[in-house]
Amino acid sequence: MAMSKYPKLFKYIIVLQQYWQNLFVYRMSFVVWRLRQFLSSFTALSVWSVVFANQKTAFGYAQDEMITYIFLVTVLYNIILSSSLNALSGEIYSGSMSTKLVKPINVFLSLGFQDLAHKILNFGFVILESLILYFIFKPSFIFPNQSYELIFIAWVALAALICFIINLLFGSIGFWSPDSWGPRFLFYIFLDFTAGKLYPLDILPNIIQKIVYLTPFPYMSYVQIQLLLGRLQPNQILPITLTMLAWTVGLILIFKLVWQKGLKNYTAMGQ
Amino acid sequence: MSPQPIIQVKNLRRHFKVYQKQPGLMGSIKSLFKRKYKTVKAVDNISFEIKRGEVVGFIGQNGAGKTTTLKVLSGLLFPTAGEVSVLGFDPWDRKPEFQKQFSLIMGQKNQLWWDLPAMETFLLNKAIYEVPNDQFEQSLNKLVDLLQVRDILNIQVRKLSLGQRMKCELIAALLHNPQVLFLDEPTIGLDVVMQKALRDFIKAYNQEFNATIILTSHYMDDVKELCERAIIIDKGKLIFDGKLHNIIDKYARNKILSLVFSQAVTKQKLEKFGQVKEHKQNGSAYTATLLVPRKKAAAVASDLLKELPVEDLNIEEPPIEAIIREVFQSGNV
Repeated sequence: MAMSKYPKLFKYIIVLQQYWQNLFVYRMSFVVWRLRQFLSSFTALSVWSVVFANQKTAFGYAQDEMITYIFLVTVLYNIILSSSLNALSGEIYSGSMSTKLVKPINVFLSLGFQDLAHKILNFGFVILESLILYFIFKPSFIFPNQSYELIFIAWVALAALICFIINLLFGSIGFWSPDSWGPRFLFYIFLDFTAGKLYPLDILPNIIQKIVYLTPFPYMSYVQIQLLLGRLQPNQILPITLTMLAWTVGLILIFKLVWQKGLKNYTAMGQ
Repeated sequence: MSPQPIIQVKNLRRHFKVYQKQPGLMGSIKSLFKRKYKTVKAVDNISFEIKRGEVVGFIGQNGAGKTTTLKVLSGLLFPTAGEVSVLGFDPWDRKPEFQKQFSLIMGQKNQLWWDLPAMETFLLNKAIYEVPNDQFEQSLNKLVDLLQVRDILNIQVRKLSLGQRMKCELIAALLHNPQVLFLDEPTIGLDVVMQKALRDFIKAYNQEFNATIILTSHYMDDVKELCERAIIIDKGKLIFDGKLHNIIDKYARNKILSLVFSQAVTKQKLEKFGQVKEHKQNGSAYTATLLVPRKKAAAVASDLLKELPVEDLNIEEPPIEAIIREVFQSGNV
């Protein structure tokens, strides 16, 4: 066999490009998906603007702080979350996955690059949408003097990875059932309430905060924004980083087990 | 010296657990709390070996276990028991060095990107299989010319006809020049002209690359034209493995006697010679077809010539598909 002249990741770059090409075919779906995200952000910002119409502070946040928080969290939420793997369980259940499994390509890297393609495209639109939201709501960013850009980037990357693995886990349901929509729906509902998308989590009662922190959700937007806004103590950074790493490793291990068990159960045809 | 087998299957079993729902709404409600499962033995203790360059036809009814066997050989399904080796690899390990040397083509599953032109999938496969540029250009040009699809390469796959799509599927699967091909119903749904074109192409590929091919098909013409050897599977068990023409010797109980008479002959008269399959008059031509036991065929033919106004007589073997149909219908395995 001829020696390969291909750099290792070249095939995945092609996967990424083709994913874009495919998305561009269904322009309307993409535009509607973005519109939905935009309206969701717009609604959250509008609701909080109304709350502050007759008061200067609410739940310990000044209007500027809250608008800034919601503005940043909606931007981040769009980067960390992804819908690129929504079809995975169907692909597995129907057996379409077979065409990938028989090829010399790493399925997870391939899905990872699909996710990356989705995120890059979304990021471009998020910038555009954020500009529109910025001119409507005029948040005043108050960033702390001491900045933690590298930690912030690392936390965003870890959150995106956690989200990716959770989506892979939902996709794995396809090895047993076509019914992954229900659990995923529940996950997104929980996420909206516990990742800090609609409100900062520190306005919740202590006991609920404690429960929420037992899940991976607060690490999927909330802590990053708190770090950016200087609302975290420096001594909180290490425990949060370790917790995120623990979630990442734990979820990878669970996923590996589920995937291996699923593959042995795979019928490659629809059940 | 005969070549070493490159596919070895020993005591392979693949069982599936299948959910059994009781009928009606009550059945659905009960299934929410308790489900009954049944074990289906899709492949039940089969063994065979295939040598390099062989083209083997897998014959069997729907659900016989043909596709399941191909999927185990491709590494898609985990065997419940038994040993499988393809090109010296355990398919389940799904090693890239193994995957670069075979292709699985399923007539009912696409690998082509549905919304993009076929060319995009070819480029993707070029990258995935790490095919060097010059080899890619050469293989692509050759395959495209052989299958006459040059003018459709840049049209969205979903706008192509079934035949055009199947040709593009074949190209996508062969660009890396695989040594082993697993073809699962490659001609399904195609018209007879297209079926013939694909068969010719598969035959040419086998000859040029000395490729080993396993083919499943519902069309006996595919098997008859491409395969010297056939493996018959029924209810997960291997019931025949050998030269295709040996199926006739093993299973055909009758021979077919085609008769043309110079005068009308009644059906009753014919029935004492054998089973009358056909009896008709076409203008001034009187014809009949009889089924007679193989060993008695010559004697019956001689009696017919003596006793009836026979103008023409032919003794033929029944078509292979009829024999196989009879084997499955009678359960005579």
